[in-house]
Amino acid sequence: MYTLGTVLWTIKYRINFAAVVGNAFGISVHAGERGIRNFGPLYNRREPIPVDHLGMKTVPRQIVAFGGGGFSMESGNPLLDDYVLALTGAERPRVCFLPSASGDADHYIVRFYRAFSAHRCEATHISLFRREQGPEDLRAHLLSQDLIYVGGGSVVSLLGVWRAHGIDEILREAWEAGIVLCGLSAGSLCWFAEAVTGFHGAPKRLQGLGLLPFSNCVHYEPKSKRRESYHQFLREGMCAGYAAEDGAALHFTGTELSRVVASRPEARGYRLDVAGRRVVEMRIATTFLGDRGVVPTAPVPEALSTAVAN
Amino acid sequence: MEVRRILALGGHDFTSRPPDRAVCELLLRLASEHGGERPRICLLPTASGDTSEQIGRFYAAFGERPCEPSDLSLFRLGRRPMALRDHLLAQDLIYVGGGSLVNLLAVWEAHDVASILSLAWRQGIVLAGQSAGAMCWFEAGITKSSGKPLAAAGLGLLKGSLCVHYNNEPERRAAYLAAVGDGMPGGYGLDDYAGLLWEGEGSPSAVTARRGARAYRVCNREESVSESPLPARFLPAPAPAALREDIAEFRRIKTMRKRAGWLG
Repeated sequence: MYTLGTVLWTIKYRINFAAVVGNAFGISVHAGERGIRNFGPLYNRREPIPVDHLGMKTVPRQIVAFGGGGFSMESGNPLLDDYVLALTGAERPRVCFLPSASGDADHYIVRFYRAFSAHRCEATHISLFRREQGPEDLRAHLLSQDLIYVGGGSVVSLLGVWRAHGIDEILREAWEAGIVLCGLSAGSLCWFAEAVTGFHGAPKRLQGLGLLPFSNCVHYEPKSKRRESYHQFLREGMCAGYAAEDGAALHFTGTELSRVVASRPEARGYRLDVAGRRVVEMRIATTFLGDRGVVPTAPVPEALSTAVAN
Repeated sequence: MEVRRILALGGHDFTSRPPDRAVCELLLRLASEHGGERPRICLLPTASGDTSEQIGRFYAAFGERPCEPSDLSLFRLGRRPMALRDHLLAQDLIYVGGGSLVNLLAVWEAHDVASILSLAWRQGIVLAGQSAGAMCWFEAGITKSSGKPLAAAGLGLLKGSLCVHYNNEPERRAAYLAAVGDGMPGGYGLDDYAGLLWEGEGSPSAVTARRGARAYRVCNREESVSESPLPARFLPAPAPAALREDIAEFRRIKTMRKRAGWLG
């Protein structure tokens, strides 16, 4: 028996009963991040399971953050784009492209429509520089999608333009409604609390939308300026986070990393933590999407390398 | 103290048609008054999302003229890094292109360009622009950034508000008059090819590059909005620049081919 207070509390904090009960019987079930944490291994789950709770449909919140890749950077390699399309679970997913970070560049929009052709999805885009042409009600349009795909470019400009049109609030709503959010480069950085942008000049530290309470660095290549700067920012107090190389994508369910996938066999994702003045960089086991019969692997960081501060 | 100058244009393009040439001539003259024989003119195409089209037209208009044209494309800094502050403060004239007023201000804010522009203005660098690039200097303007014409804030270097494409887009004028009636600060309406030039303190002088294009003063007076045209100085179009030899030849060949096609 539950008291009224318990029920209200439950609703408020979205406790996932199915998850709690499932866990008690040793079955791993996904719980939202505001549910009880650490109650079971998330990573045995193959696909997120929508759970009915108190008559309310709970859908997982999903973000796939590409370090770089997809149609923008890997023409002829659709593995990452195929992965995000498949995540929607829809037969003909509705996909909306947000090219704001590029200034809504025409050539980029054309490439998007070529990659997301009509035979496999229903593709649209929103140009915030040409609002008179697109859908009038941005919120209604975005909330009716299965996947929102954010292009690369300048993350500083992206966030500025989004805030001016209220897109930041709409995207949070879309995420909470279970619409899959993804993007590369600036379209990856934007989802995190903090990000390292190397768009021009020396890499800079900036605040993102904060859907994921971590920091993020894209195009994370060894011996790069970005990597060096990211480590420095971490030492200066930037929150711990994740980095991804070109071709690698970080798939978050709720605010937990559920797996790292890649369109290239060698591409990797990393977890970065700070211990005192030391930056600890851990390579995360990554699933190459090009292998046949890919089995999801556990997102357990393999402590392969440890970068020590001087 | 340096004379603070702003040229707000209701709407124009960078083609070789007479009124466009007249506007370019005025921009060049203003730039030369600050920078001498080869003034530096920088385009800020931010409001359009830095489209190649706007940038291309700007260079087509100024590339062959006695000036040093450049563009500062905030969305393209990745491929072409520039020091924003140093570059902007080294100009004689900063020209802001048209597009979305809301996005223009949002992106400037994000890159901290607004404060640099206000400093440039105080240092005597001429600020100019058309459409969104004209309204941005005022406290407010009427923009179609969200599809329908709506009021949006500008940088506020100039007091009052501005509405561009005044009689060319009747729905914009209607929205402006309604907004001023509702308490938005009054200001000016500018037809395409009409402009207002502020030089130092005091009232602006109106200019026009096309017969019939006018500048209006719009005020909210005791429950009614009044609109009165301002006397404007006509800008004559300079003679078209002589065609370069190779371009002239190319056009001759193109004409010949066309004729041959029709005959054969």
